[in-house]
Amino acid sequence: MSSLDNKHNGSARVGVYICHCGINIAGKVHIQDVVDIAKKLPGVTVAKEYKFMCSDPGQEIIQEDIKKGLIDRVVVASCSPLMHEPTFRGAMAKADGNPFMFQMANIREHVSWVTKDKGLATDKSKALVAAAVARVMFHQPLTKTQVPVNPNVLIVGGGIAGIHAALTMANAGKKVYLVEREPTIGGHMAKFDKTFPTLDCSACILTPKMSAVRAHPNITLWTYSDVVGVDGFVGNFKIKVKLRPRYVIEEECVGCLECIEACIFKHGKFKDEFNVGLAKRKPIYVPFPQATPLVAVIDPETCAYFRAKCKKPCADVCEKKAIDFNQKEEIVEVDVGSIILATGFKTFDASRVARYGYGKYPNVYTSLEVERLVNAAGPTGGEVVLANGKKPKSVAIIHCVGSRDANSNKYCSKVCCMYSLKLAHLVKERTEADVYNFYIDMRTPGKGYEEFYERLLLEGINFIRGRVAEVTDWAMTPDEEEKLVIRAEDTLVGKVRRIPVDMVVLAVGMEAQPDADDVRRMFNISCSHEGWFLERHPKLAPVSTLTDGVFLAGACQGPKDIPDSVAQAGAAAAEALALIDIGHVELEPNTAFVRDEFCSGCRTCMNICPFSAIAIDTEKDTAVVNGALCKGCGTCVAACPSGALQQNLFTDEQIFHEIEGVMNYV
Amino acid sequence: MDNWRGWDKISYQSDLDPRFAEEIASIPGGDKLFACIQCGTCSGMCPLSSYMDVTPRQIIAMIRAGFKGDVLSSYTTWLCASCYTCSVECPKQIKITDIMYAAKRLAIREGVYPKKFPIPVLASEFFSAVEKNGRSSEGRLIMKFVMKTNPLNMFKQAGLGLKLFRTGRFSIKRESVERVGELNSMMKFLEMEHMIKKASDAVGVKEDHK
Repeated sequence: MSSLDNKHNGSARVGVYICHCGINIAGKVHIQDVVDIAKKLPGVTVAKEYKFMCSDPGQEIIQEDIKKGLIDRVVVASCSPLMHEPTFRGAMAKADGNPFMFQMANIREHVSWVTKDKGLATDKSKALVAAAVARVMFHQPLTKTQVPVNPNVLIVGGGIAGIHAALTMANAGKKVYLVEREPTIGGHMAKFDKTFPTLDCSACILTPKMSAVRAHPNITLWTYSDVVGVDGFVGNFKIKVKLRPRYVIEEECVGCLECIEACIFKHGKFKDEFNVGLAKRKPIYVPFPQATPLVAVIDPETCAYFRAKCKKPCADVCEKKAIDFNQKEEIVEVDVGSIILATGFKTFDASRVARYGYGKYPNVYTSLEVERLVNAAGPTGGEVVLANGKKPKSVAIIHCVGSRDANSNKYCSKVCCMYSLKLAHLVKERTEADVYNFYIDMRTPGKGYEEFYERLLLEGINFIRGRVAEVTDWAMTPDEEEKLVIRAEDTLVGKVRRIPVDMVVLAVGMEAQPDADDVRRMFNISCSHEGWFLERHPKLAPVSTLTDGVFLAGACQGPKDIPDSVAQAGAAAAEALALIDIGHVELEPNTAFVRDEFCSGCRTCMNICPFSAIAIDTEKDTAVVNGALCKGCGTCVAACPSGALQQNLFTDEQIFHEIEGVMNYV
Repeated sequence: MDNWRGWDKISYQSDLDPRFAEEIASIPGGDKLFACIQCGTCSGMCPLSSYMDVTPRQIIAMIRAGFKGDVLSSYTTWLCASCYTCSVECPKQIKITDIMYAAKRLAIREGVYPKKFPIPVLASEFFSAVEKNGRSSEGRLIMKFVMKTNPLNMFKQAGLGLKLFRTGRFSIKRESVERVGELNSMMKFLEMEHMIKKASDAVGVKEDHK
């Protein structure tokens, strides 16, 4: 494998191809000047330019030159290797050239897109081409190795996106591990009453999918669990999952809920997380009647047994003896080939916008709270009532709370306009109140969305174009007494208005999960600066990440409504299935190798290799790299005190000549 | 049709000043004014918007569109009390108060502010006294202010003025710093530097817009 044995001989024939990329490069770089310089470089036999090298005719130029025997190695000066290195390597392989006798000079992202001056841009392009030519002289033919792909898949997050991806994969016959940290799957969608714009019942369309997950023979569902470790690489991940104790044996519990009846707390006393604090629950509870799995969970923070002493009536009443106060947390390990992250979002904390009075005035609600109020299974049985139990006569819905605001989140949360319209309709339907929607811009792109807006306009909902300045209880006229007063400019009229209402609904935006940064570190993917998981390409690879084998679904990638989340979940499942169906992944041959004559057998490399890919040949007392285990991280190469370790595609010779190539032109 | 006057109500593009927005935006951070989404938070928060002829939001829109005459002759900028609430709450972090000041400065320079409206008179009298003497003399400032706005007020306030005068709270002496000449040459120098910077900035702006 050693690439240093064969010194570059005078017979190397390099072909240099300069790409215009339309006007992306040609608009800033004098292409012909670069071609002229390239022709004069030592070893170059062919130098050409073309409008789009990545097009079929462009690739054919390279292939013809290889077939004619004019060239045996190739430099393409165009865009980034991330974009088109596989394209050109593939083209070489098809013409029976070795795809690793190739080097790319990035004169688009590194030159034309970031340089204003044409002369300087051309100079830099020449230097980069010269460097690539000097480097490619020392390239050696290499071959890729293949490793099989494990057909199992891990899906993190059991909201609608995770559920849909899990069912798609499982129906295709793949083994799915679905991990959810809450005691039930369902996510945010399980909390909603109706979905826009069709107003179909959220539970009616979601719960069949939830029970399908529970019943599916190909799905292992772990709720109340967290992924705590991820190792390995595409096709071969090793996952550690922590199953938190719910103090109820899941396999035994039949969901009769008698334990909850028997609890020494006769009434709910603690914050009900599922009802976003609008109701109280007992220490032993199920989040909601259709929870999946329908297994009780004991909260050790509030359970009397864990805090002091308790006669444990819940355990006595359980016929299946499912309650086990000695349950301990458990770590399970599974091997999977691909991962779909569907970890979702959190809603914006409305108390951060102090002037809207959330947390100060009891009748200021967030939209998620009102979703629970209008829900027939919610704390009020679907009645929209004020804190004092009375029906509101007028309701204000404030859009863009925590969105489109440089003081909180700059982005538009995309779903709030539509769900505010939905809530306006539901509130009007249930209470016959006057409803005022305060919006900055009404954003209703989507199938049937604009029609829904028109329906609301005709229903007599009041729309005021203006961002609310303040919610106050300070009355200035008699009809404002005992009311919450909204102050906003009606920007279409050009006047500041004060509108007294009984109830205020804050349409809170979507934010990345608070632990998104820990999650992305664990799965080795990137985040945008708002915390959303970063896709590989915003248009052409929207569900892939920069880490092969890790895919994204739903709102963890950015604000999304239900149809978009489901579509993306299907796309992520399709990507994972494609990976599994090919059956193997090809690994870059950028592995490390040992030059025996320089190795002293000090074992420095062996101890630091994160993949345990290095062993010692006891006869020769030199290090040996196992190419199948080596991931090409280069740690050993940097650590070797005698320079015995080298890495394919990154040998000292290649890198030094590349630097020399640049320096000659600076 | 010939004597129909409705055409006068239309704002013709030739009546607008396309350089006005850039002129206002040249203050530090001023270019954020182009990010305005016309949400009206500034007008809603403003404690004085009910006294204004156009709302602060409309001022921003008018600046952007080049309605120079309408902006400079409106009362809105002069009524701004500099409480900065609009700037704090603006979702695009536009420095609305600073923009109000930019418009006021321009109005004074071009002399188009509402005549006899007390606020610009007070501001320019205060400024010219400080420029000339290095400090303002309250008694003289008030007298000049009243003379230029509503001289009859002089008689109304005479009683109070006399009392203040007697107790030594009100003086008609001109107060001034020492060595006024040095102050004046400093001011002249700064003004020149400012003009040069402005001229070179204007050239820079042009190049960017090629």
